[in-house]
Amino acid sequence: MNKRNHQDTSGGADYGGLPGNLGKSDSSSMPSGKAKMWEEERDAGTGVDDELLAVLGYKVKSSEMEDVADKLEQLGMFMDAAPNIFCDTVHYNPSDLYGWVQSMLSELNNPPNTILDPMLQGQQIDDPLLAPAEFSSVPTLGFLNSHKQRQIDTTYSSRIYNDDSEYDLRAIPGSAAYPQTQDRESNRKRLKTSSRSNSAPPLLPSSPQPAGDAAAGTVSEPSRPIVLADSQETGVRLVHTLMACAEAVQQENLKLADALVKQVGLLAASQAGAMKKVATYFAQALGSRIYRIYPQDCLDASYSDMLQMHFYETCPYLKFAHFTANQAILEAFATASRVHVIDFGLKQGMQWPALIQALALKPGGPPAFRLTGIGPPQPDNKDALQQVGCKLAELAERIGVEFQFRGFVTNSLADIDPSMLDILPPEEEAVAVNSVFELHPLLARPGAIDKVLSSIKAMKPKIVAVVEQEANHNGPVFMDRFTEALHYYSSLFDSLEGSALVPPTQDLMFSEEYLGRQICNVVASEGTDRVERHETLTQWRTRMGSSGFEPVHLGSNAFKQASMLLALFAGGDGYRVDENNGCLMLGWHTRPLIATSAWQLIATDSS
Amino acid sequence: MAGINEVNRNESKMVVPLNTWVLISNFKLAYNLLRRPDGTFNRHLAEFLDRKVPANATPVDGVFSFDVFINRSTSLLSRIYRPAHGEEPQINIADLEKPVTAEVVPVIIFFHGGSFAHSSANSTIYDTLCRRLVGICKAVVVSVNYRRAPENRYPCAYDDGWAALNWVNSRTWLQSKDSKVHIYLAGDSSGGNIVHHVALQAVESNIEVLGNILLNPMFGGEERTESEKRFDGKYFVTIRDRDWYWRAFLPEGEDRDHPACNPFGPKGKILEGIKFPKSLVVVAGLDLIQDWQLDYVKGLEKAGQKVKLLYLEKATIGFYLLPNNNHFYTVMDEISAFVDSNC
Repeated sequence: MNKRNHQDTSGGADYGGLPGNLGKSDSSSMPSGKAKMWEEERDAGTGVDDELLAVLGYKVKSSEMEDVADKLEQLGMFMDAAPNIFCDTVHYNPSDLYGWVQSMLSELNNPPNTILDPMLQGQQIDDPLLAPAEFSSVPTLGFLNSHKQRQIDTTYSSRIYNDDSEYDLRAIPGSAAYPQTQDRESNRKRLKTSSRSNSAPPLLPSSPQPAGDAAAGTVSEPSRPIVLADSQETGVRLVHTLMACAEAVQQENLKLADALVKQVGLLAASQAGAMKKVATYFAQALGSRIYRIYPQDCLDASYSDMLQMHFYETCPYLKFAHFTANQAILEAFATASRVHVIDFGLKQGMQWPALIQALALKPGGPPAFRLTGIGPPQPDNKDALQQVGCKLAELAERIGVEFQFRGFVTNSLADIDPSMLDILPPEEEAVAVNSVFELHPLLARPGAIDKVLSSIKAMKPKIVAVVEQEANHNGPVFMDRFTEALHYYSSLFDSLEGSALVPPTQDLMFSEEYLGRQICNVVASEGTDRVERHETLTQWRTRMGSSGFEPVHLGSNAFKQASMLLALFAGGDGYRVDENNGCLMLGWHTRPLIATSAWQLIATDSS
Repeated sequence: MAGINEVNRNESKMVVPLNTWVLISNFKLAYNLLRRPDGTFNRHLAEFLDRKVPANATPVDGVFSFDVFINRSTSLLSRIYRPAHGEEPQINIADLEKPVTAEVVPVIIFFHGGSFAHSSANSTIYDTLCRRLVGICKAVVVSVNYRRAPENRYPCAYDDGWAALNWVNSRTWLQSKDSKVHIYLAGDSSGGNIVHHVALQAVESNIEVLGNILLNPMFGGEERTESEKRFDGKYFVTIRDRDWYWRAFLPEGEDRDHPACNPFGPKGKILEGIKFPKSLVVVAGLDLIQDWQLDYVKGLEKAGQKVKLLYLEKATIGFYLLPNNNHFYTVMDEISAFVDSNC
């Protein structure tokens, strides 16, 4: 089968030539100086990634290059013979070429009925949102995980999943099945009707995003993705003044800082839209810092939950977070009959109705579902967690999912001990840990993150779903943090602007306040008060990796559905989903803003 | 048929380094997954599979980049690449559009390839290529994220190119000391095609373009040329896929003799007597559409236009994506000389 005819210009059947072909048939195309370099690389044959491909976003070990080439060749032949052969495939992490081709080949080796089943081939979904023959047979929950080569009865599942709308976009607005107040319902599916404000001023330099993320892990300096909207003289001056003010604050030249803050106010007044709001919030935050009037706003958890609810409704970031995290959880729960989700920040529980609905539709029936919701103490000692738990229980009962809820009130996740959570052994119950924006606050207290990651490990989770802001707002230098935050929140506010209704709604204003509080925290707070310590995916990857976790990749099915979700709800074409080494990011135009990653414990020899 | 395809694969493996073969074969496989026989395109999977990279205002190897909206209402973005002059580790936001300082600064408007359907300005392969161009030409590069087929057919890509040209031409911060923006147009594959059409529009509107650089430009026609027949399926590309992309880009019902596809064909515009920019056309000797590209060069010559043909006998498509072959260096040198010569 291996027809490695690289070297042999005579065209004879000379198989098994030298590894690391250099195409010697035409030496004029290979400069001799470079040939030596390639020979060395070939001879080394170590586990080193090919540098040239790494720069382009593909990780292929030099020693595997031949193998990958062979596999590409094989796949090419199969596709020539049967062009539709991979039309239902779910793809994972395209940067890992070896893994990618290998998983496609493995899929071919699966029992014949997974590919050739006439039911699977013939299905068409008549749905204006979906292209023909797209969703027909792949269970959108990713039950066909080609990496693990599970033996799934796809014939059976195709009968269930021929309308994948069950678990998809329509399931996402949990409020549909999860009774809320009237105004939320009506605001739910909002299509864009407004035009964008044309006075959108320059967006600002952003927070670090590792430039070579997909490259061979060489991240030497932070990178700063920037999207400029429209260069306006006043906009640029405004930014300049803000930066100068921050610089003055850093140098503790408070008199100058004070003067500059006032100037910012004047300049901001002549702006409009997103730029004006961002500048105002940052100016306020700088003012707080200068006068040491640190905001005392973190006390009322129910108020901040309310703000977050409005943010949830106004723009797709939280929906994306919930959706992608749920996707990872569902795939991990594919074969479990009892499941337990530990939610690090229950809040209003908006993530869970969709998951419960999806579990209800699992072929073979839903697993027993246990939810442990963690949250901070409430004013008046209200048991907010229990209220949320009750609502979810009602939903679960209505749709026939066995459900149990337990709430834990705590000021810090670091105070939770796994033994409190009644974790059952992995053979009995599959555990998922879910953290949406709950890990970064732990960085405010020394030791907290490590403690929590250890606790997570002790829970022996099948999957850990993590969503975090894609920004570095935790650098040691104030100016850096300030600059990063200015860019990040400019993009965020710009996206709110782009997708909001005109005239501005209550939702929009509360959403802005939600973000404004974050800005204040990043800029004006310090020490343990400064909880908005966002870090980038690269930074979290390092931390998770060194704590004993390895990535679980999110695939093309999750990507696609997330993209379609955005089109439905955001009503703006500025939102983008990006695949990054198995993780998914949501961004505004070319600027990534939040990242979802999934993790599992690194398998040890004993397991 | 499998036997012949095997032979074809072996031929292509003999003319490029292995990692290049892997890269281009990977694209070929991926692209096969994306094109549907009914003419629709699996855009979600395309975006999932495409490797992308964000802009970076922190200079890397002397180049920094940032994205701008050319047109906010159509979300037309471009990525701007500029040389960093070594001083600061980070470029201040206010300095992103700082006026260029050299006596003469070439501004290269770049249109990425992808047969009108694939890739974006932020695709890693093109981000890398544009960064190189900054270095070798000491230029500012503006890479246009034009709308793609089949969702957006002719003339969307050209309209976006035209918008970008106007935008560049009106940026005071891009003006050289003579208060003019020194504009070059460059592109590979479909990008090369766009270069021609945008240049044509520029001439008609009196905007001066100093030169066109076309790398393996995508042209075609109804006729099946010798090179198409000879190289069909041999070096990563097939007639069938070329046909698919034209059907996806051209207006419904039009054939490949449409002037967008065949500028010197029966429906093409007359270029005699107009002040068309000088052109550098790079043709890969193993590219199946080379006869069309050579016809393009002949067409320019016959119209009395200045054109230099760089014919690289043993080059395949995509040779300029990796710096691991002589063709790559030859082309970079030629581009550098082309942009430098009458600046």
